[in-house]
Amino acid sequence: MSEHDDHRTPVSLNGLAANDPHFQPAARNPLLVERVIALTFVVGTLLLVGFVYCFWVNAEPWTLGATMGGGLFLLGVGLVAWGKYLMPKGPFVEERHVLANSEADRNAFAAAIVERGGSVVKRRRLLAGLLGGGLGVFTIAAMFPLLRSLGPLPKGTLFHTDWRSGTYAVDITGRRVHVGDLAVGSIVTVYPEGKQETDRGQAVDQTVLLRISNEAFTTQKGRETWGPHGYIAYSKVCTHLGCPVGLYEQQLQLLVCPCHQSMFDVTNGAIPNFGPAPRPLPQLPLYVDASGYIRSQKDYDQPVGPGFWERS
Amino acid sequence: MSSDVVNTKRAKSQALGPYGKVGNALNELDDRLGVAKGGRTFMDKIFPDHWSFMLGEIALYSFVILLVTGVFLTLYYIPSTALVTYHGSYLPLDGQRVTEAFASSVNLSFAVRAGLLMRQMHHWSCDIFIGAIVVHMARIFFTGAFRKPREMNWTIGTTLLILGIVNGFLGYSLPDDLVSGTGIRIAYSIVLSIPVVGSYLGFLVFGGNFPGTAVIPRFFILHCLVIPAVILGLVGAHLFLLVRQKHTQFPGKGRTENNVVGTPMFPVFMAKTTGFLFVVAGVTALLGAFAQINPIWQFGPYEASRISYAVQPDWYMGFLDGALRIWPSWSFHSFGHTIPLEVLVPSVILPGILFNIAFAWPALERRFTKDFASHNLLDRPSNRPKRTAAGVAVLALVSMLFIASSTDVMANFFRLPLNEVLWAMRILVIISPFVAYPITWKICKELQAVKGGGKRKTTNVVTRSADGEYVATPAPVYVDDLHSELEASQVPKFIVEEPDEQNESGVRTTDR
Amino acid sequence: MTATSLKRIAMLSLVALFGMGPLVLFIGNANASSHTTFQTNRKNAGTPKSSTVVVDPSTGVVISYGNSAITYSAPSAALATVGQALFLQNCASCHGTEANGVPANGTSGAYPNLVGVGPATIDFWIESGRMPAADPRAIQANRRVARLTHKQALAVAAWVNSLDPSYPDVPTPHLKNANVSDGAALFALNCAACHTIEGDGDALAASTYSPSLRNIPAFQVVEAIRTGPGNMPRFTGNLSDYQVRDIVKYVTTEIQHPQNTGGLGLGGLGPVAEGFVGLLLGVGLLALVGFWVGERQ
Repeated sequence: MSEHDDHRTPVSLNGLAANDPHFQPAARNPLLVERVIALTFVVGTLLLVGFVYCFWVNAEPWTLGATMGGGLFLLGVGLVAWGKYLMPKGPFVEERHVLANSEADRNAFAAAIVERGGSVVKRRRLLAGLLGGGLGVFTIAAMFPLLRSLGPLPKGTLFHTDWRSGTYAVDITGRRVHVGDLAVGSIVTVYPEGKQETDRGQAVDQTVLLRISNEAFTTQKGRETWGPHGYIAYSKVCTHLGCPVGLYEQQLQLLVCPCHQSMFDVTNGAIPNFGPAPRPLPQLPLYVDASGYIRSQKDYDQPVGPGFWERS
Repeated sequence: MSSDVVNTKRAKSQALGPYGKVGNALNELDDRLGVAKGGRTFMDKIFPDHWSFMLGEIALYSFVILLVTGVFLTLYYIPSTALVTYHGSYLPLDGQRVTEAFASSVNLSFAVRAGLLMRQMHHWSCDIFIGAIVVHMARIFFTGAFRKPREMNWTIGTTLLILGIVNGFLGYSLPDDLVSGTGIRIAYSIVLSIPVVGSYLGFLVFGGNFPGTAVIPRFFILHCLVIPAVILGLVGAHLFLLVRQKHTQFPGKGRTENNVVGTPMFPVFMAKTTGFLFVVAGVTALLGAFAQINPIWQFGPYEASRISYAVQPDWYMGFLDGALRIWPSWSFHSFGHTIPLEVLVPSVILPGILFNIAFAWPALERRFTKDFASHNLLDRPSNRPKRTAAGVAVLALVSMLFIASSTDVMANFFRLPLNEVLWAMRILVIISPFVAYPITWKICKELQAVKGGGKRKTTNVVTRSADGEYVATPAPVYVDDLHSELEASQVPKFIVEEPDEQNESGVRTTDR
Repeated sequence: MTATSLKRIAMLSLVALFGMGPLVLFIGNANASSHTTFQTNRKNAGTPKSSTVVVDPSTGVVISYGNSAITYSAPSAALATVGQALFLQNCASCHGTEANGVPANGTSGAYPNLVGVGPATIDFWIESGRMPAADPRAIQANRRVARLTHKQALAVAAWVNSLDPSYPDVPTPHLKNANVSDGAALFALNCAACHTIEGDGDALAASTYSPSLRNIPAFQVVEAIRTGPGNMPRFTGNLSDYQVRDIVKYVTTEIQHPQNTGGLGLGGLGPVAEGFVGLLLGVGLLALVGFWVGERQ
């Protein structure tokens, strides 16, 4: 006689006989099911022992997951099967209680709040008003440390970069870019000298420097002197969401943003011709100094990067 | 209960009750907390059997795994953007300057035993957590389980989905690798796009202009303390309401609006659900063992001027990324101000509308159907064609947005022009809900027309009489058919209703 | 075996599990040896190693980078005769018998003029199997098994170069002293924007695409970086040969043989593939188990 037929202490019968069909296991062959479950428990436990061993000898990472995952999975399957096939199959029924209370109870509850509360507040309107005002002021007062302390105000920082008149353009290693460095169809990411390893230099000042052949280039009005010897510099910060526009297709003459595929026409003021970017990439005015180094004439003439409220 | 049993130690130790030591211990507990009656009721609580009721449990148990593995990760992760030179066991990064956050994430993957497994399990269980919430939510929606009296639980559940997505994004950002750093950059730009307060909000959240120094420690506190605490509280409220209001159930023999038919909490459901917890943990661990997720060492540390192509966020953020890709470049400039609609609409307004519709749906449906009654029996989705069609339409829209987040991958895979794929997705996103709605509605109507639809089929035996007449008679129920019990026998009561008693003080006591 | 002992075994394993022994073990025994040293020096992409760039003053074309990380050697002029024959046989139908991009009865400008592009360019296109083109009208030639041998490619390069000698020559990188870490940083800054950080490549504008780097030999990586084939930009004086060598080392080791310590690499597609696995294998499999758990009895 196996365990499951033996209901010595049944879950309160409540009028059901111990041999009631609802208390019988669902399995057709409980003994077989029990053996299978026992097998899953044994193998599962062995796998967990295996996990301890694998951990101990510092085995490959996948062995840890395989032993622990397999062990837990088998124990879980066995436990589910135990509940599903060997425990009372039911079904059983439970009555729902109506959640709502009687009319009288509800009225008593509402009366307590409305009458007591109402009478107190109505009679002491001044106090209620003062307390409300005090709490309101506290809310505002709490905003100062909770919000204002979090960071500085933007002020003008979003409008400027670290490019100044005469700033040398350097690559990531700090090497100044010489007019002879780039061949036509080349690209390099440049920073204002000394800023290449700062957070701001990386995030705000980053600029792509390209060398293109002059024939294909449409010079924008007012930018006649900005691109000496075919050197053109655009902000690397996408005007859509600020990703670095590092993808240059030199035959199509497109700068593409790898995040959302905005495409900027390099030969025509980096005006976007596809994708979600709303504005051209700002162009950095360049000149070549007497020693042949690439330097900036001045800062960008507009804020770089994505749009924001204060930007005109 | 006699007072000497309560008061004297000797009496207690001598008088072993009818349920032995366990029974005595429970009595001690009841003396102090008065839990016997409620406890018994809880042990008898009936859980209806249906596979779709397990979807929410996948989410619940994934959350448990997230907590356990997450605690492990906090022991080794350092939430700091201070720069260090990496000299760990992953040689291709040796000598690079990285943040402590990145260095510690790589170290816990390579130098801590089982660290990589825990990290991968954490990430996989997050993907499963949010996936299970979405599927669970769809089940609740299509079967009408959100209707009165359960609107509050629908609201809590929707909030949990949002919190899950937000916390997933925050956690994804913590390793400070190239891919997640790009995600933070985009998030910053989205904050920046909010009219009037955007730049202030961005500076306060990030502690300055991007990248700031504060974002990693702040995300850490939000990810590990604040949001998990809120999720935990809401999960508790979710389950409390579930117990208080009892489960819904599908219609069937013996099932009414006023009862619940199924298996009791103890021991049957407890065994099954605990087993299922192990299964969820097991599957997560197996995924963590065999499927690599987020190999940050291959991505390298984040630098604001580095970028990788084909970068996507985790799947649950995909619909936002897709929306950002396909939305046209319509920016608003006027009166000396800019409203970046190309960012604001797809990433703030669109999810705002979607989630607000979700929050408002129970109220909207009450208003349009004029159905103010409480419901405990579930709908078959085909019997509510308009609701089902609306749900499928929204799912189609969100799915298309999700697919749109990989336009470049699709273009590469099928060797199609990127521009055409993007235009195709723009069109598909717009028309998919309008196609999905009528098709679903029609399918529902057709299903309604099927005789006996949704009912269990019974076998008919066709016999030919000697006269050549064909007669169809239902086959006898197969003896071993597991389902015959429910159909054939009367459902007994598992709980005995006791008449309300009045105690000495005259206060009426009820058990719930 | 009796049912009681079976039951006991089952109970014991459950007790062991509830004790969460494994978990205690991780935390108690795990060895979090942090090798990170705390320094404040910032080091991004290797120290700038000086390389004397020699530029042809008339054309602005880089002649040499003046160091020993990569050896550039011109193909032997003796091969030019063989090269011309090979060219006429394999290339002239599009590029013309003069290699000027004007085929017989054709108009100029339809096909690239090869005169003066330098031996490395010719060698790259032939040895990567892109030329001779399978479909000359295709927007972008796919990488294939090379039609010509290494020596034949050099011969063609020798002949084309004899028409108008130019640079760069065919490179041989010396990877022995390469710094793979510097290569990784440079790859992330210069290459990942197109080829992805995993080196898989992806679709670009107008039906072009960046190719996968999984199967490219070291010298071809140098050729591609130095010559900028197709839509790829040229990286000339802004990357020294030391830096190029580091990138090549990174590509031929970590990109081509990634350390997938965490299991299957899922095709390097990252979150897209992960999402599918998480939803289908994770949620899907669990829903199937849930189907079994919660099915009506």
